[in-house]
Amino acid sequence: MAAINLDSVSIEFPIYNMDARSLKKRLISFSTGGTLLKGAHESIIVKALDNINIKLENNDSVGLIGSNGAGKSTLLRLLAGIYEPTQGRIGVKGKISTILDMSLGLNPEATGYENIIMRGILLGYTKKQILAKLDEIAEFTELGGYLSAPVRTYSTGMMVRLAFGVVTSIEPEILLLDEIVGAGDASFIEKARARLTNLIKNSNIVVLSSHSLDIIEQLCNKVIILQKGQLKFFGDCKEGLEKYKSHMY
Amino acid sequence: MVIEELSLLNASHFVKAYQDIINAFKQWRIWVLLGWQDIQLRYRRSILGPFWLTLSIAITIYSMGFLYGHLFKMDLQVYFPYLATGILTWNLISTSLIEATDSFVNSEAYIKQIKLPYSCFILRMMFRNTVIFLHNVLAFIPLIFIFHIPVNGYSLLILPALLLICVNIVIYGNVLAIIGTRYRDIAPIINSLIQVAFFLTPIMWMPDLLPDRYHFAVHWNPFAHFLNLLRQPLLGQPFSAETLYMITIITIFGLISFSLLFAKARSRIIYWL
Repeated sequence: MAAINLDSVSIEFPIYNMDARSLKKRLISFSTGGTLLKGAHESIIVKALDNINIKLENNDSVGLIGSNGAGKSTLLRLLAGIYEPTQGRIGVKGKISTILDMSLGLNPEATGYENIIMRGILLGYTKKQILAKLDEIAEFTELGGYLSAPVRTYSTGMMVRLAFGVVTSIEPEILLLDEIVGAGDASFIEKARARLTNLIKNSNIVVLSSHSLDIIEQLCNKVIILQKGQLKFFGDCKEGLEKYKSHMY
Repeated sequence: MVIEELSLLNASHFVKAYQDIINAFKQWRIWVLLGWQDIQLRYRRSILGPFWLTLSIAITIYSMGFLYGHLFKMDLQVYFPYLATGILTWNLISTSLIEATDSFVNSEAYIKQIKLPYSCFILRMMFRNTVIFLHNVLAFIPLIFIFHIPVNGYSLLILPALLLICVNIVIYGNVLAIIGTRYRDIAPIINSLIQVAFFLTPIMWMPDLLPDRYHFAVHWNPFAHFLNLLRQPLLGQPFSAETLYMITIITIFGLISFSLLFAKARSRIIYWL
């Protein structure tokens, strides 16, 4: 049983200019009474998410859409617990796995196998649990002997195979995904999509951010539309996509 | 608005700060692996691997021992072990403090992509430097035979001494990391302060060389006490009462300032990156 509950959540970012980061400038501005250097430690506050109310339950597979800078990644990070809300409350029940950056923790000097173990541990597994999955992951990546070679010798496509193979070997209750279907040759993309569909089916709640409406239509049953940090639509997938396509939100 | 909320320091802030530490310990696999990987990465394609650390510290200790022993006209039997233990301990403490200031900044990729306790990154740094210290200590072993340094029951005190130092690295490391993330010029400031501290702390010189009226400079120097903490058992001596007393005070002070600062700033760290 997994559940996510956002109760009028807002996130405000302070954007610091260089002066505000400097202790020296701060001290000087104290000593001059702050008049000469007025504005030296002023920072701009950006409201990245504005009063969001969302309730997600079991079997919700939610597509997150919106233009660049709409707050999609911020919302995913909020759900992951990386950002804490500056206002409002957030309640999350269930084990979360986040796949925001696939190449996180990839160590170019280490071999493919070592990287699989490394990433697995970052995802919260014990070494034993990953070793049990090792064969299955190796098979999926089709990298064969290359898995014993350092990752720095890999091509971009091979790296994607490796990273994708590991991060999708998890069994989360809540799965948060950020734009992860991309590089690779045609046959791999097809395989990756099948694996992803399977992963999504096995998770209780999925939130998936993507610019590809096709993927969302295929994989999701609900849609969240964000614009400038505000929730514009939350509901049925088809209805949401219609609205998004015709800019009726 | 934001600032007002920050000043509202309620119980839940402390609970969350406390949970951060507990969770970091629970996820020991992550920081042990990351810390270990840090060392491996530096020496991956070299023949000696991490033992380069042992070799380079050995060269430092042995050349400085001869040079300064003769410069200060000291009995090498006394001075050599004294200097060696001083340099070994100083290396652990100073590197940890310097690396602490940018541990969050350098871990930005992790912090922004995956939910991990902040203390994980401090523990990673602590673990890495402790492993390096254990490599460095090997350089000390020949000295035990050359200068007949006693190895006795007191030598076992190395373990609690190391543990106390690690605890303080985590406490003060967290404090420095938070401040260093908010104010980016803390790192160079700490760097130069550490260099000054190297000369003010009895590492290369012995406190008895100092005129009596300047002895306060050693008594009130926290680094001197941390140095003693490891130096005494390494030389087969018991802890001195003054050292234990001062270390206790420093640790308690650190714990209080760490709890206050961490409770207040923890949720903001991500926005400062």
